[in-house]
Amino acid sequence: MTTPSASEIKEVREITRIERIGAHSHIRGLGLDDSLEPRQVSQGMVGQKKARRAAGLILEMIKEGKIAGRAVLIAGQPGTGKTAIAMGMAQALGQDTPFTSIAGSEIFSLEMSKTEALTQAFRRSIGIRIKEETEIIEGEVVEIQIDRPASGTGAKVGKLTLKTTEMETVYDLGQKMIESLTSEKVQAGDIITIDKATGRITRLGRSFTRARDYDAMGPQTKFVQCPEGELQKRKEVVHTVTLHEIDVINSRTQGFLALFSGDTGEIKSEVRDQINAKVAEWREEGKAEIVPGVLFIDEVHMLDIECFSFLNRALESDMAPVFIMATNRGITRIRGTNYQSPHGIPIDLLDRLLIISTTPYEENEIRQILKIRCEEEDVEMSDDALTVLTKIGRETSLRYSIQLITTANLACKKRKGTEVSIDDIKRVYTLFLDEARSSEFLKEYEQNFLFSEITSSTGTEKMTVDS
Amino acid sequence: MNGIEKWLEKLKKAEKTCLFQDGRRKVHYTFPDKTELAEEYNIQTGELLIRKWRRKNTLGAKLPWEFEVGLNTDNQVRANENLDMTESSNNPIFSRQDTVNAFQWRIRNMIYSADNYIVEIDEQQRAIIIKTKNKKYYKKFQIPDLERIEMGLNPKNMSFSHANNTLIITYTKPTEFLSMEKIITSELSKTKASKEGDVECNPS
Repeated sequence: MTTPSASEIKEVREITRIERIGAHSHIRGLGLDDSLEPRQVSQGMVGQKKARRAAGLILEMIKEGKIAGRAVLIAGQPGTGKTAIAMGMAQALGQDTPFTSIAGSEIFSLEMSKTEALTQAFRRSIGIRIKEETEIIEGEVVEIQIDRPASGTGAKVGKLTLKTTEMETVYDLGQKMIESLTSEKVQAGDIITIDKATGRITRLGRSFTRARDYDAMGPQTKFVQCPEGELQKRKEVVHTVTLHEIDVINSRTQGFLALFSGDTGEIKSEVRDQINAKVAEWREEGKAEIVPGVLFIDEVHMLDIECFSFLNRALESDMAPVFIMATNRGITRIRGTNYQSPHGIPIDLLDRLLIISTTPYEENEIRQILKIRCEEEDVEMSDDALTVLTKIGRETSLRYSIQLITTANLACKKRKGTEVSIDDIKRVYTLFLDEARSSEFLKEYEQNFLFSEITSSTGTEKMTVDS
Repeated sequence: MNGIEKWLEKLKKAEKTCLFQDGRRKVHYTFPDKTELAEEYNIQTGELLIRKWRRKNTLGAKLPWEFEVGLNTDNQVRANENLDMTESSNNPIFSRQDTVNAFQWRIRNMIYSADNYIVEIDEQQRAIIIKTKNKKYYKKFQIPDLERIEMGLNPKNMSFSHANNTLIITYTKPTEFLSMEKIITSELSKTKASKEGDVECNPS
């Protein structure tokens, strides 16, 4: 019989979940000061001062919330920070303003027409701030008990005892609740509220009765009274929902059929009309407030002429959000037609837009961005390696050099180094081709690739046979 | 118009469906504001067994059934998808189970001795308050039936007892209320009810 030795038993560690690093995860805002002047390097943004200042002005406009249906186009070459500016705006707007970000290709689907997808995106970007009554559980934590299974894997079970000045209740906890209690670092003596509808936990502070003279505590520790009366209370809360969410709630097939219908698909226009009327009513009664948000469509040249004409019309509605588009195309064909137009957008729509353009980055700006990305990805890099990488970034593209950060870091780790050196960069530079070198390579070995003979010998003739 | 008339008028306006099943008369009301009310009566004794409400929230979503009388016997394990937490089964369970002449509440799993409980009436808020001396249980509730007809509470009508780990609170129904109940039952017996096994359309 074999018994697992100590080393075989997996060590169980509590880890707070690590955020995955995305291409724009370093952006925390637009990096403007109070007078909307852009700082050279701030909140993850580098350079593009003009574009950022312009975006800042638009942000002010959104925050005031007076103007509906303005449209902005961010145009610029690939890798000049268009999406970054949009992300920065989203971050600067904060949690309460709806920000919808979609790519131009997302609206093409077999389940829904293009205009329906666009309408949904529009309505997702309009928030309604409304008062609603919800049930909450509010009490002082007497005890949290979490039992881990002996094997180290499997579901945890737990118990939470909450009390008020008058009563005490024991709750059985599920896996999800245990996780959120641990991530909120809730412990005995805390006063917490739990929203019954969403399960969200809020820590209000420490209980006065638990205050001891020599407790070590942070300056932000707040002491509160233990709540009175019943644990479960009804409370009015103000929260923001989007028009689309209200649409979905009211269009869902009722009863058990809802189980089978699954997603909502298209929403009937009657439902929308009803809701618009209802919202208008709430607004007049002072029950609700409209929060116009932002709709951001990336790669907007992927929309076709039908979408553009729909947008023309939709922007005139008084319920339209601020609409931001981004494209990296120059003068090109409008999708769905044979006409050429700047940015692939019809002139009549372009006429309604405020256009912000981004310019290619300067050498020192590239260096700054690479530095920020190194920090974001937890990579130590020597100064001369960064200089080399900046040069690569100038000659090839910013995106390619950012890719090299991660790969070079891995190469560095493999040789057990602590700091990425020039050699690591050189090594990955030879291992991974950039776009220019790759096409050069393809040209050189064209003959050896599959199907190369079709284009070279018969391609052009075949195309013109039946005309 | 007094409270009783108002309530009767509201019931009259509601859309009603009636059904006999399992020895129970089941009545379903839909009010003009789409609020639903379902009641189940014992056919023999006329006791009210279940009364539950389903309301809509401000945004128009249907909320789950709320039990005013009777216990929710449905599977409550996944009652709420977001709140991954249930009250432990050892906690006191509060339910209302009326008799013909009185409102009655039963709180099971009350393991403390009888002298631990204080039951009082808050006349201003028309609510009954249950307190415990050892600070383990507290509940404040109204009698919705009397609330609807805008009638106050009288401490003389209320009594409570404790036995077999259960605290029973009894509140004798006022005579006005009893006469109103009679009117409702006679009205309900007039509505055409379908019996179990009745088929709506004639299968040829």
